[in-house]
Amino acid sequence: MNCSKTHRLISPYIDGELKVRDKEAFESHIKSCRACGKAAEEARFQHNLFARAEEFNSPYGFSTRVMANIASEKTGGFSLTLLFTRFAEVIVLLVIIFSGIISGGFLSDRLMAEKKTLIISSFSLDIFEPTPPDSLGGVYLAMAEVKNEK
Amino acid sequence: MSNNSEDLSIIGRFKNGDEAAFEELIINYQDRIYNLCLYMLGNRHDAEDAAQDTFLKAYRSLNDFKPKASLYTWLYRIAVNTCIDHKRKPFFESIFRRSDTGTEMVIDYPSVLPSPEKVYESKQIQYALQKALIKLSPKLRAVIVLKEMEGLSYEEIADTLDVSIGTVKSRISRAREELRTLLKDFTEQKQISSV
Repeated sequence: MNCSKTHRLISPYIDGELKVRDKEAFESHIKSCRACGKAAEEARFQHNLFARAEEFNSPYGFSTRVMANIASEKTGGFSLTLLFTRFAEVIVLLVIIFSGIISGGFLSDRLMAEKKTLIISSFSLDIFEPTPPDSLGGVYLAMAEVKNEK
Repeated sequence: MSNNSEDLSIIGRFKNGDEAAFEELIINYQDRIYNLCLYMLGNRHDAEDAAQDTFLKAYRSLNDFKPKASLYTWLYRIAVNTCIDHKRKPFFESIFRRSDTGTEMVIDYPSVLPSPEKVYESKQIQYALQKALIKLSPKLRAVIVLKEMEGLSYEEIADTLDVSIGTVKSRISRAREELRTLLKDFTEQKQISSV
């Protein structure tokens, strides 16, 4: 058996789907060929990973839910409870969206109002004081006034 | 690939109008179908939706089921096709999980209770495999999940997917080759840690 054929037979060998004669030829080849032996070993390791992977059972109440769906389908698929649940879902989603929009609107109005006050106060000449009393300029002006008085 | 007597009895009772027989069928196959859907779709919400759809479709067509075929390969076929056609439900439909008793949290139950180290290891492997499997084409994913997770023979897979055994062989080889590349880092890491 050559390497190319051996590579093709790795999967059926691992799955136990080879005929006895092919299996014997395959095993004798991988014993003598290092590369094919390594490829077979890697494939075996990957196959074993699946065996070690977690298996799950269906969720609790699965069969009851399927039977309920079947019963609902048999009654024409119309269910007042389901309709009400859908309606409630839509209402909840709308409330969430509108409360987001309204609270967003309040926030932006408040920020804009604060911003306006800041803008006005920064341009107002009433609070403009070129030489505050404690500043160097204020001290100089006070001294100049005293000198003038003299 | 023959049906066991319990399957035949359930089908017979169902065809005679016994609705409770179908619930027995669900209980017998729900874990295998759910597990298949979970590895096909990669997440538990979609897996439950697809598994439910599988049983609904089975309910609608069980009267046409021919006992010549095997019940589980017939169910697997419906499940695989449902998973391939499965489209994720819109956000507003999936935020509430419905049951007859109201909304509920969906919890996965491992089928066995091994040690914490084993649980951690199998979770790691499950995560790596699901991440790699979802990158395969649905056709390749279906054959490898049926082979590796469900342990079906080539003949059973061919029967389930309605393809030839040759096609199954080549798809399994291709799937394994693609998985080898996708899982390269993970398997190297695992091989080192297992030495």
